[in-house]
Amino acid sequence: MTEALTERQRWVRRLAGNGTVMTGAAILLVLVAAALFADALSSYNPTRLVPANRLKPPSAEHYLGTDEFGRDVYSLVLHGSRVSLLVGLTTMLLTSAGGIVIGLTAGYSRRLDVPVMRCMDGLMAFPAILLAIALMAARGPGVWNVIVALSVVYMPRTAMLIRSTVLSLRELDYIQAARALGRHDGGIALRHILPNCVGPLLVQGSFVFAYAILAEAILGFLGVGVPPYVPSWGNVIASGKNVIREAFWVSLFPGLALTIAGLSLNLLGDGLRDVLDPRLRVR
Amino acid sequence: MARRAFWLRVLTAFAMAAVLIIAAGPADAQKKGGVLRVGNLGEPPSLDAHWTTASITETLTNHIYEGLFSLDRDNKPIPMLAESYIVSKDGLTYTFKLRQGVKFHNGKEMTSEDVVASLTRWGKQSIYGKALFAQVAELRAVDPATVQMQLKEKSAIVLISLAVPNNFGAIYPKEIAEKFAPEVKVTEYVGTGPYKLAEWKPDQYIRMVRFDEYKSRNEKPNGYGGGKTAWLDEIRWVPVPEVATRVAQVETGELDFADDLNLDAYERLKANANARPIVSKPYYWLVAVFNKKEGLMTNQKLRQAWQAAIDIEPIMKNVAGGKKEFYRMDSSLAPVEIGAWHTKMSGLPWNEHNRDKAKRLLQEAGYKQEPIRFMTTQEYKWMYDFALLSKQQLEDAGFVIDLQVVDWATLVKRRNNSKEYDVFTTGMGAFYDPTHHIYLTPSWPGWTTDEGILKVQQELARETDPKKRLALWEQQTRQFYEKVPVIRYGDLFGLRAARNTVKGFNESVERVRFYNVWLEK
Amino acid sequence: MLSYLVRRLLAVIPVMAVVVTVVFLLIHLIPGDPVSVMLGPDATPTQIEGTRKALGLDGPLLGQLLGFYGRVLRGDLGQSYFLDRPVTTAILERAEPTLVLMACALLVAVAIGVPSGVVAAAHRGSIWDRVLMIGSLLGVCVPGFWLSLNFIYLFAVRLGWLPAAGYASLFTEPGTALRYMVLPAVSLGFNQSALIARISRSCMLEALQQDYVRTARAKGLPQRSVTYVHAFRNALVPVVTVIGVTTAVLIGGAVITEIVFNIPGLGRLVISAILRRDYPVVQGVVLVTAATYVLINLGVDLLYAFIDPRIRYD
Repeated sequence: MTEALTERQRWVRRLAGNGTVMTGAAILLVLVAAALFADALSSYNPTRLVPANRLKPPSAEHYLGTDEFGRDVYSLVLHGSRVSLLVGLTTMLLTSAGGIVIGLTAGYSRRLDVPVMRCMDGLMAFPAILLAIALMAARGPGVWNVIVALSVVYMPRTAMLIRSTVLSLRELDYIQAARALGRHDGGIALRHILPNCVGPLLVQGSFVFAYAILAEAILGFLGVGVPPYVPSWGNVIASGKNVIREAFWVSLFPGLALTIAGLSLNLLGDGLRDVLDPRLRVR
Repeated sequence: MARRAFWLRVLTAFAMAAVLIIAAGPADAQKKGGVLRVGNLGEPPSLDAHWTTASITETLTNHIYEGLFSLDRDNKPIPMLAESYIVSKDGLTYTFKLRQGVKFHNGKEMTSEDVVASLTRWGKQSIYGKALFAQVAELRAVDPATVQMQLKEKSAIVLISLAVPNNFGAIYPKEIAEKFAPEVKVTEYVGTGPYKLAEWKPDQYIRMVRFDEYKSRNEKPNGYGGGKTAWLDEIRWVPVPEVATRVAQVETGELDFADDLNLDAYERLKANANARPIVSKPYYWLVAVFNKKEGLMTNQKLRQAWQAAIDIEPIMKNVAGGKKEFYRMDSSLAPVEIGAWHTKMSGLPWNEHNRDKAKRLLQEAGYKQEPIRFMTTQEYKWMYDFALLSKQQLEDAGFVIDLQVVDWATLVKRRNNSKEYDVFTTGMGAFYDPTHHIYLTPSWPGWTTDEGILKVQQELARETDPKKRLALWEQQTRQFYEKVPVIRYGDLFGLRAARNTVKGFNESVERVRFYNVWLEK
Repeated sequence: MLSYLVRRLLAVIPVMAVVVTVVFLLIHLIPGDPVSVMLGPDATPTQIEGTRKALGLDGPLLGQLLGFYGRVLRGDLGQSYFLDRPVTTAILERAEPTLVLMACALLVAVAIGVPSGVVAAAHRGSIWDRVLMIGSLLGVCVPGFWLSLNFIYLFAVRLGWLPAAGYASLFTEPGTALRYMVLPAVSLGFNQSALIARISRSCMLEALQQDYVRTARAKGLPQRSVTYVHAFRNALVPVVTVIGVTTAVLIGGAVITEIVFNIPGLGRLVISAILRRDYPVVQGVVLVTAATYVLINLGVDLLYAFIDPRIRYD
């Protein structure tokens, strides 16, 4: 028991010591707080149309200005973070779960390995955005359809990652020993293999989170994401593009929010990779 | 001495005249030539004028095809391919004499057989064609230059139906009109118009080039009709779906003309040294169409509640980019520009914005907060805008609205299916005759089947006395506001942009035409 | 080398089979009958049946799939409902703008990315290195489509230096074509240039720490030569791989860039086809792009094996 605690403490210290991880995590925390407390932090109801306040520039009343329907951009950006974080997080969780199932199957079963790998290769051949758009057009708008589409698109990469982790661990001595002792694969997977996947999953997950947030915004921008009157960063950028000359602030601020969100997750991913697997380090 | 001076003066006069005559020639030749690049909203669903009412098809096909009649600047029918016409005393026989020597783009000469074949096809497919042919007993070619139309009953709408530019009776060669069944789009485009189709590359451009053998009428240009001169060598229609891009391209000179622009761009177009904004009146009047065949909105009280609840002015102002100059509040079903049918009636329940009345009507309707499916699209920005603003006003009054935003192609398909929606948004163009108001018919989406309304429409088709027709129309307007088949919002004006090199453009007609237009070098 | 080539080629076949199957399934994800949705409720039963047969959507599912395979192998991607021409023709007509855009974006990405990364590695720890690291991090995070909008606003609308949108063919009007290509290529290549910069830098750093570099220095070779000739060549190998991956990402990014800049390429084609429910075109374009990606990967793998003999014996 004392060893496990020290192990954990060591990890925590390692993570806390890494500047990249801390910066990324800090920014992410700010975003999460913004999403959770969006109602309290907003100065106006973001879905309330106020035609008289159309296209007002940033001011004391409207920190980031208003859009073409008089909606407060600051409140829209705050509420938009909810959609982005929801989509990003859920996609990350689904791809991780699906990736684990598929990756374990491929890694363990010699028979299924090659066909599963080829399927994943096949799925990865499609440009992610194109597949997502096609899926959204087929299924229709809505948050859940976006999440499902993006999960399908990003799952193969995670599956491949898990598979290679399984493959590299499977031949290790202590696994062979466990097998020889009669422990069956399921137990081995749970107790020995999966914990070792956590690291790569977290790293991969951070990047999937980032891709998913960006993809959701692109889908919204193209008009095939969540319905246009739901506050989302992509939707607000889209509504601002027609009035970019008269009111550049509408497209500017959600774009900045997107950049910052992507930044936090990329930093987190990079930092985690440095800490968890120095071999993969991008020096 | 004096005689020589006299002859000198005569000679000078002749010389000056000669110089003027010589100068007039090349000056005219300077007008000819050039390629006009026009930015469009998108691809036309078809270039078959009989097949669809889409505005973009209307604009394009009116350059390559012509009908028997056209509209003058007062929106009255004037002859185009017809030379003259006679109506029998009982009003049941119309005899049209056709113009001679009119050529099709394929070189063939137009005869009565082409007219009969084309109009018969139009009568089976077009909304206006079907309305007219409901009264037609027979249409036949008497001789190569004469066509005769025999009616079942007296009709007020023969000439106007043959003159409207939308979904119009374009004259095709007989072979083409008979080759393609009315429900099928033609894929060979041969007409008598001043421009002919040279190339159609979907999503890239549509090229029309001058038809050299075009036989113009002798009169001066008059509204949509009269003489047409093809100054431009080519008109190139480029689909540019992004409205911001369309505007920018006119500002920078990549396009010479752009239509369907957002009204926010007006100020900067005005400020631009090389381009100018053109405000088009009217553009569309905005309507929300109810599904009266099945579903929640079959309930008249519910429709009346919607009509009572909305406050139209702030909606129109927002849709018009916040500018008062770009919209008009009007209860008349025909806009001001259609002078003959514009009504100025009072006491109509239009724009009452009376929330208490709305709530009362909701109660009387027995409304139980069921979500009302309201279908709109972002491809026509103003449709989405007024839908979203209406939704808020209605929800404040106690409605529950399920706003469904789809693409235009889907909306047009879904609105034909009574199970898929309760209300949809659209815009109406100008109707030149009371019988052309498609939302008052049982076959157009929304399905207006009210007996009272249909009865008055039928009477309007038969009654030929203009004063009596106007009285019927006013009666119809009152019925409209009582029975609420659709909600009439306000009139929206449109914004176009043209480079300053574009000359001769007729700003007073509803849709753009580029014959009689030239490019200044 | 030959056996590696053959093995690699054979591996492509099952992947393509999966690709074709997924493309086939796309049309069946649509709720309801795809043909009715395509033709609209005005369509007569005869029209629906006819279109169904023409699209190969009649009969049991497996039969349809096999039929689809057969047609694809013959090069027949079906007929576009909206455009009234074979899908293959439509794709060939629109391929040029997309290919030009991708090539230009790749050029931008490599031209900015590789030198930046190499120089930063050579001057490791200096202020330039810092600037590059931060810059490349931002470059990866900035959304491409948002960048496009800002570029248009700044360079076209406000400054008027470049056109706002549009396309001209490189082969007919090279000068104009290049002007139209600048903003799209830069906004598309921007993200990738940042990525390439980071990877070039790290590969270069790794190469610089190798023994042979120390040996070369000890031998007295000038620093410049060591860095830019010896280390660079070895660092190049993984960079080539990244370029392969970059191309795949560019295909996706090109879709959005084409829409924002109104370029009549495959991206615009597929989006219009989706909006118009022109399913044969959607299937055709998705299939072609996936196949291109597979081929590019194959090419990169072969190139890699050619450069680095160790790979062949994997």
